Amino acid sequence: MRLIFIFINSFFIISTTIFSQQHEKILLVDGYLHVGNEKVLKTAAIGIIDGRISFIKNSTAYTPSASEWDTIIELKGKHIYPGFIAPNSTLGLTEIDAVRATRDFDEVGTYNPHIRSQIAFNIESKIISTIRTNGVLISQATPRGGNISGTSSIMKLDGWNWEDATIKKDDGIHLNWPSSTSGGGWWADPKPKTQNKNYETQKSEIYDFFELAKAYSKSNKKKKIDIRLEALVNCFKGNKRVYIHADELQQLVDAIDFSKHFKLKYPVIIGGYDSHNITRLLTDNNIPVMLKRPHSLPENENDDIDINYKLAYLLQKDGVKFCIQNEGDMEAMNARNLPFLAGTAMAYGLTEEQAIKSISLSTAEIIGIANDYGSIEKDKSATLFVSNGNALDMRSNQIFMALIDGKFMSTSNMQLELYKKYSKKYNNKQ
Amino acid sequence: MKLFFFFTFLSISISIFSQLTPQNGVLKSEAEFYALENATIYINPSEKLSNGTILIKDNRIIKVGKSLNIPKNAVVIDCKEKVIIPSFIELYSDIGIPKRKRASNSNSIKYDRDSPNSLYWNEAIHPETNAADLYLNNKKSNESLIKKGFGFALTHQTDGILRGQGALISLGTNQLILKNNLPASFFSFEKGSSKQRYPSSLMGSIALIRQCLYDAQWYTNNNFERNLSLEALNKQISGVLYLKTRDKLDILRAEKIAKEFNLNFNYIGSGNEYESINEIKKIKSTIVVPINFPKPYDVKNPYISRQIPLSDLKHWEMAPQNPAILSKNGVKIAITSKDIKESKVFWANIRKTIDHGMSIEKILKALTISPSISMGLEKEIGSLEPDKIASFIIYNSDPFKEETTVAESWSMGERTVYNRKNKSKINGKYIITLDDIQLPIEIKGDPNKLSGIVTYKRTIDGVTRDTSSKAFVELTGNNITIQFNINNTELIGSVNLRGKINTKFGVFEGNGFLPNGKWIKWNAIKSEKNDKGEPNKKNKFYIDTSNYTWFPNLSYGFKEIPKPETIIIKNATIWTNENEGIIENGMIIIKDSKISYVGDMNHPIPKLGRIIDAKGKHVTSGIIDEHSHIAISKGVNESGQAISAEVSIGHVVNPEDINIYRQLSGGVTAAQLLHGSANPIGGQSALIKLKWGYPAEEMLIENAPKFIKFALGENVKQSNWGINSGRFPQTRMGVEQVYYDAFMRAINYSKEWKEYKTGKRNKIPRKDLELEIIDEILNSERFISCHSYVQSEINMLMHVADSMGFKINTFTHILEGYKVADKMKEHGAGGSTFSDWWAYKYEVNDAIPYNASMMHEQGVIVAINSDDAEMGRRLNQEAAKSVKYGGMSEEDAWKLVTLNPAKLLHLDERMGSIKAGKDADIVVWTENPLSIMAKVNYTIIDGIVLFDSVKDVELRENNYKEHSRIISKMLSKNNKGDKKIKFIKKKNGHYHCDTIGEEKSTTENKH
Repeated sequence: MRLIFIFINSFFIISTTIFSQQHEKILLVDGYLHVGNEKVLKTAAIGIIDGRISFIKNSTAYTPSASEWDTIIELKGKHIYPGFIAPNSTLGLTEIDAVRATRDFDEVGTYNPHIRSQIAFNIESKIISTIRTNGVLISQATPRGGNISGTSSIMKLDGWNWEDATIKKDDGIHLNWPSSTSGGGWWADPKPKTQNKNYETQKSEIYDFFELAKAYSKSNKKKKIDIRLEALVNCFKGNKRVYIHADELQQLVDAIDFSKHFKLKYPVIIGGYDSHNITRLLTDNNIPVMLKRPHSLPENENDDIDINYKLAYLLQKDGVKFCIQNEGDMEAMNARNLPFLAGTAMAYGLTEEQAIKSISLSTAEIIGIANDYGSIEKDKSATLFVSNGNALDMRSNQIFMALIDGKFMSTSNMQLELYKKYSKKYNNKQ
Repeated sequence: MKLFFFFTFLSISISIFSQLTPQNGVLKSEAEFYALENATIYINPSEKLSNGTILIKDNRIIKVGKSLNIPKNAVVIDCKEKVIIPSFIELYSDIGIPKRKRASNSNSIKYDRDSPNSLYWNEAIHPETNAADLYLNNKKSNESLIKKGFGFALTHQTDGILRGQGALISLGTNQLILKNNLPASFFSFEKGSSKQRYPSSLMGSIALIRQCLYDAQWYTNNNFERNLSLEALNKQISGVLYLKTRDKLDILRAEKIAKEFNLNFNYIGSGNEYESINEIKKIKSTIVVPINFPKPYDVKNPYISRQIPLSDLKHWEMAPQNPAILSKNGVKIAITSKDIKESKVFWANIRKTIDHGMSIEKILKALTISPSISMGLEKEIGSLEPDKIASFIIYNSDPFKEETTVAESWSMGERTVYNRKNKSKINGKYIITLDDIQLPIEIKGDPNKLSGIVTYKRTIDGVTRDTSSKAFVELTGNNITIQFNINNTELIGSVNLRGKINTKFGVFEGNGFLPNGKWIKWNAIKSEKNDKGEPNKKNKFYIDTSNYTWFPNLSYGFKEIPKPETIIIKNATIWTNENEGIIENGMIIIKDSKISYVGDMNHPIPKLGRIIDAKGKHVTSGIIDEHSHIAISKGVNESGQAISAEVSIGHVVNPEDINIYRQLSGGVTAAQLLHGSANPIGGQSALIKLKWGYPAEEMLIENAPKFIKFALGENVKQSNWGINSGRFPQTRMGVEQVYYDAFMRAINYSKEWKEYKTGKRNKIPRKDLELEIIDEILNSERFISCHSYVQSEINMLMHVADSMGFKINTFTHILEGYKVADKMKEHGAGGSTFSDWWAYKYEVNDAIPYNASMMHEQGVIVAINSDDAEMGRRLNQEAAKSVKYGGMSEEDAWKLVTLNPAKLLHLDERMGSIKAGKDADIVVWTENPLSIMAKVNYTIIDGIVLFDSVKDVELRENNYKEHSRIISKMLSKNNKGDKKIKFIKKKNGHYHCDTIGEEKSTTENKH
């Protein structure tokens, strides 16, 4: 049976259930395509077969034959984006911040590379349903705490369980670089922060641990398996990334030294508040940065009030590879605002397509999934969404439809359900 | 009458003292007269005498002057080259006073005082504490003060809010406590060692002082139940009051209390008074300023130094000028040595003050006359005029000019000699003659720690070279000891010499041993005159940085406070929020802080005025944040009690929060600063305009409607504390009863007063600040902004309100408002909500971003607020989310952050739209303010341009330049080896709804 959907402007046309896979040959026509790599195609025809993009053509020069497709969707006036990616996030690992029982992102221990987020990822999280409806379709489930928090995995935001939600298992370990300032007390009794006297010691402790792991990774016949060190073997082999969380200048330059010392193949800086001061060092060493949440206050009184807004532009200008991430207060629920973080970076210097890239292709490249995700290009996975307008602006980010690996994703969520439920209450009253 | 009284009591008390103490043995032998001759005498701040004489009898000065007739029976003391300065008076001290003992040893925080007794209910209030009862001699600390030049100290127990009465100590051998019938007592805003939870914030301390003062007034007429604390307080009120502050803003806060109760506080300052000199100069009473100036930071590591806040750097530079700036502006100041341990540092800082523009005359006044006047003792102490008490210090040279030592201290006629013989300055080069050998020696160092270097020729392997060896040199009295080792052809071994000094000729002579055991005569003659040993008397050159104070004195501060202007905004797209809707190509004229015209371009424009061409730009009224916690000093929650209606954010507005400027850059012009959500009935709000650079009083909106914070749910029942704190309530059920109870009590309270006023009741009821505020709610004089989340509690509170006869003006947060919007509409409550927040705690599980739209559709007045310093500067973006969630129109969405909050705050007569006659609170945007691309070009409040995107670039430049200028200044101090301190990073904390205590939180916001 062949279906031709001509979606007009109907918001809830894709119902709440995940479509069973009947749509194997989908054609999207006439939409405004934002490829993700800074290129656009104003009237795009996108062929999707078995979840992959089979071709991208200009609609005006292409007449589809209806018989070749089981679904054709007309997208005139709408915008097509690659599924946005929320890296470095506890999304799926936490549900209610204040309820301890729902928090699954911070394990006991200082060096926890063996701790894996993948298996704790709750695909049924109510929060997740509200994230993807803003165009964020992929996340990097990331543990927190300790010196090495654990190993993250790249997840799709739709699926039956963590197994089929996994895009890339164990993509990298997360190393929290010690701060060059310390102290601070606890929240009810804060003390002033001071210069961290133990900084050098803490730094060498990390070096020692990595030396140990490096030696371990070189031994061919292991007498006994050390699960902790085993988790680092791939970091030295170069097929696991090392994400170094660092913000201050001292941390950043030391983290770069560290990556060089251990000849890490894929070091990534996460945070990088001061990274604009060392752009040359970053480009010379080819180290990408996942930028601190643009919607953050400046760290210091004297800093430029818009420093976090314009940080992306400062790195773009100097040719540093970067993407935008969202770690911070209420980061799980806030992941849905990722498009607007990029939007703010756009207002402060990035072009629209650069801003899109900073939450799609750049992110995919940095976390190592760019062969399949991050942009809408031939042979890549059909993980994309269509918005009625500019998805980086709050007013026009209106999800019309979304595909994850070519499957239609529900564009509803529990919040929308409550909205409908209570709208009914009032409508019935009148 | 008063003056006469003082004059007599002291003289009596002093002569009585010696009669009170029985003598062991025969009466102590005393000379009848003492005459101190040949001294340089600072008689008083304006009179200095060289080669003068002071004549003393008993404990008083008889005469002072040149060539006096000295009685024959006088003991004459030669004070040649010495300097006599009247004893200083320390007003802030705890010398000889033990730490406060607490009634129980338990360390746990509690709600009630340890054991109820006849004292005030709060343990931080203990005016009954009397320093005279607690005082114990402490010779060591006495001496440390004497070495700094002090002869008197007003000591008290430095603990708590009402600290009790001080005692004036004479710091001599006798260590007398002077009678002081005009009691001096001490106040502060610091709770101290009390373990009672209340007060937990600065505003709580202020409320507690006020309540206590009202209680004291009431007590006078109702003293059936005895209360020792209030009795003591009532006695103290008419005496001298000192209030210790931690910041110049505290002084301004205390002045409000002083005005309310017609009191006159003197202040113990904090050293940054110059930063608010325009307000501080209006203070009539004395400010006791510390001179423990900040030390330079260690700034050698630029990675660290770049993080030092400019405010700290600026204060470091300006602090030594604080006394001078205050003096120049006519403020009465006294100086305290508080927080300075070493006398050397104290004197170095005194001289630094002089270098920074303070005259010796004014310094001396601040150390002597001013404190004596502030205690009403100027007839007795503070100068060396005839008939004054003979209390002074004799220095070996002038301490105002160079480092020196104390030779003697005279305390009420009692002499203590510290350095009986002047240790002469013998530094310099000498030739020692030992028999026929001559050796050059150079004597160096401080008179108490001398050393020498002996130079001689030594021949090794036929080569003769100059060699030197260290010498031990010690001067005791006029005896000198010199010892050194030598190794040349003539002498090998130790040379030991002892002799007398003849300072007149600069000659030593005496006897000693040579290495060969020979007993010889020796002498040493000065070979060249040293430069009088004056320590680097280079011309010190200090740049007068007094006009370097910014408003406020931190990053992005203004060099001059901007003033209201006449402004014409042309060619603009104007979002009026009125019936006119959006005017294309329109014009706004701002005059006298008001909007005088809005409409098309066909209107005459004033000749003078700034013209802003807003072609392509959008102009709106300023954003109003209904729920903000920025710009608050020391505590956003008074969590010590479940009901804290008596506290007010209005008392603790902090105009120096950098977030004010940051929010201006996001178009915010006004905000309601709310108490936190720790209590069912929280504190009173402050409604402010974000007038960066202006003092707190001028930020407060004039005649603003009164508001109070209520709160429901998890925060008030302390659900997320992990433990049960024991404070009522712990459930939503309890919360309801808190309200019923409070309002019942308020009704009874107001009934009692009505009865009293109509004569039905004789006894005056106790004034209760808490119930008075709740009564204002019942009288519709105060509006409620209630923190709320789930529908059950919202419903409950509306029921309580309906049955007790009051209204809920605003439910804030109100994330389940969409479930009960119809009920809210019926009750008349508005909703001020978040655009899309949820999932941060259990009670926000059902929060939906469609909330604003749904409440709006039901006719509820809806605002979007921040409750967050970061989001506060992006409220335009947050408003735009309502277009996305629920499909609100753009004009309605914009009203969510402008007109609607103005309505909720009952400020819409003045603000919230662009209409002739309204306040000129205007924002010029680069484009549609709801667009993600929108940025602010200008933020104007009351016609004052407070943010200007072009000027902002200039301010940033100023920040960088000022930062590096001061860092390099510090660096030169570092290199000189001045004492330095490690950088302490100020926490980037913010107040959240649930932040407990005075310090800001850096953890997650639980709202």
